[in-house]
Amino acid sequence: MFSNRRFYLNLLIVLLLPMFAEAQSAPGVGSIEVSGRVKIGGKQEKLTRKRFYLFRGGLSENSGLIERIRAAEITSRDCYYSQAKASPEFICWLQLSDCESPFCRTASTEEIQVVPEFKVAYQKGMTQFRGKTTVAKDWLVTNLAPSLVSGFYLQKRTLTERLLGGLKPLQSSMTDTVSVKSIFIDIPAGDAKARKFTVSNLLPIEFGNKSYVWSCEVNVDPGKTAKVNLQVSEAGKTVNMMKNCEVVVKDLKVCTTVKCEQK
Amino acid sequence: MKSRVRIILVLAFVMLFGTSFLNVSTAQRRKDSFSHASKSHVKINCSSCHKNPTANWVTARGYPDVADYPGHASCIGCHRADFFAGNRPVICAGCHTNPGPRGSARFPFPVRTRSQEFTTIFPHDVHQNLIASNGPKNDVAVAHFVTASFTRADDPKPPAFNNCAVCHETSAILPKFGSRVLPLLSPLADATADTFVPTAAFFKNSPNSHASCFTCHYQNQKPDRNNCAGCHVLTAPYFESDEIARYSLKFNHLSTNHVNKDCTTCHVRITQNTDLKTMTSADVPIQACSTSSCHGPAIAEEIGKRGAAMAAKQQIFQCNYCHTPEIGRFPVPPSHQNR
Repeated sequence: MFSNRRFYLNLLIVLLLPMFAEAQSAPGVGSIEVSGRVKIGGKQEKLTRKRFYLFRGGLSENSGLIERIRAAEITSRDCYYSQAKASPEFICWLQLSDCESPFCRTASTEEIQVVPEFKVAYQKGMTQFRGKTTVAKDWLVTNLAPSLVSGFYLQKRTLTERLLGGLKPLQSSMTDTVSVKSIFIDIPAGDAKARKFTVSNLLPIEFGNKSYVWSCEVNVDPGKTAKVNLQVSEAGKTVNMMKNCEVVVKDLKVCTTVKCEQK
Repeated sequence: MKSRVRIILVLAFVMLFGTSFLNVSTAQRRKDSFSHASKSHVKINCSSCHKNPTANWVTARGYPDVADYPGHASCIGCHRADFFAGNRPVICAGCHTNPGPRGSARFPFPVRTRSQEFTTIFPHDVHQNLIASNGPKNDVAVAHFVTASFTRADDPKPPAFNNCAVCHETSAILPKFGSRVLPLLSPLADATADTFVPTAAFFKNSPNSHASCFTCHYQNQKPDRNNCAGCHVLTAPYFESDEIARYSLKFNHLSTNHVNKDCTTCHVRITQNTDLKTMTSADVPIQACSTSSCHGPAIAEEIGKRGAAMAAKQQIFQCNYCHTPEIGRFPVPPSHQNR
């Protein structure tokens, strides 16, 4: 009888333990705010909808990752789509809204007529979807070649995995379009020895004819928000340190002769 | 003597109960439902029964979809005997409203009043990556393509940021709503009387059909329409609640200063969520509001009022800027003070 009671008491403690642990750990968390407003080439640019990753430890603890970022070979959007034999109209359509894939926005009726891939996909849809124009138009991507739909994304995912090399990010977060901030919350910063973190976008962000990867060391204090302001050195170096950030800047390979004029 | 009678009675009941199952298939026992989880059914491929799209998709949905039950041919191979068991075979009641040779009418598919057997796999992070890979730039109004030029049409609708609105639309009608339950906390007072009622504009819907999924995943894009298990996972039967439970019932998604925001400005956790099942922490963290210049002062003022009331041992101040009294009477969590 006594041992039974002790068993249930122990069971109760085991069940309640995570609850107390959670309550105890809550005050030990901090947050990071990464501002995606960066001056590039004298112009204020907004890194909207860009994913940043959070890693335990500072830059020296993540030296392997930093080394892989420096060495990474990247394929730009235009190069990818040129190699995928996309038409110049398709590439220009992507460029119009700085899109990386056709998921970015809905193609208008006029655009469907001008972009050859869209035209073919629409005609296929009209046959397949019993002449229903709305379905053929709204489901346009279902009749596009997969290489043009998600190929570039899959290539980037492969690159992400290669760069991570088995390293597991603590969190990831995207910059929004209004405040252009990427916010990490509930970062375990209770342990004084482990308050150093690294924030990086891993995948190169394209601006003009260059790509940028930031890797920044951040100290997080419990109950506080650490702010990270990304910068680019105007000196034009390939790898440079700005405050606690290492910035890898690379020239994008030019792969297309398509000229898309924009006013 | 008494106990012997009891034993006999129990045994008789068990035997009666047991014999009622003999020579009767699951299909016959289950009058009003079909179980995808039965030992025999889990071995079958979904597409061997479900055709996608079904012949009635144009009238039933307006887009290609599984809009009807599988035909008799899918069942008869194993359940032939059940089809001829009596005048009104039990198996027929799974689909037909009036089982019998002449009763061809069926329940609308799917039957929403029945329990759900599947949960959905939906990685928000992957979809955020894909659909939000660079949003439209507002400063580019015209683009000349190689063979033509286009002007972006002026859209009078508010921007559907990041395409969250592809799946989460504003409710057309006021949904059932309620306050979240805080089982680990004790309220500091009884809830005061409150007359606040939100409108439909306060809420967003979640998808309950294939409509928004198939626009991309119908074909070519995995998981496609024939890979049901790519999105649906069997689980213990459950009834889905249609009530939207919130901590801050007073939040209006369509108010002037909210409608022009990006969803992820506040829903900061959503961009990293890999699975709907782990969405327990997908709420908007209070930090997104309490540190903003819009709401920070009002929240700080209420926290101050709460503190002052407690220090003076007066009647507890119930926070009402964001909360109804159901929530506003609970202790202020550390997160509200950025701790």
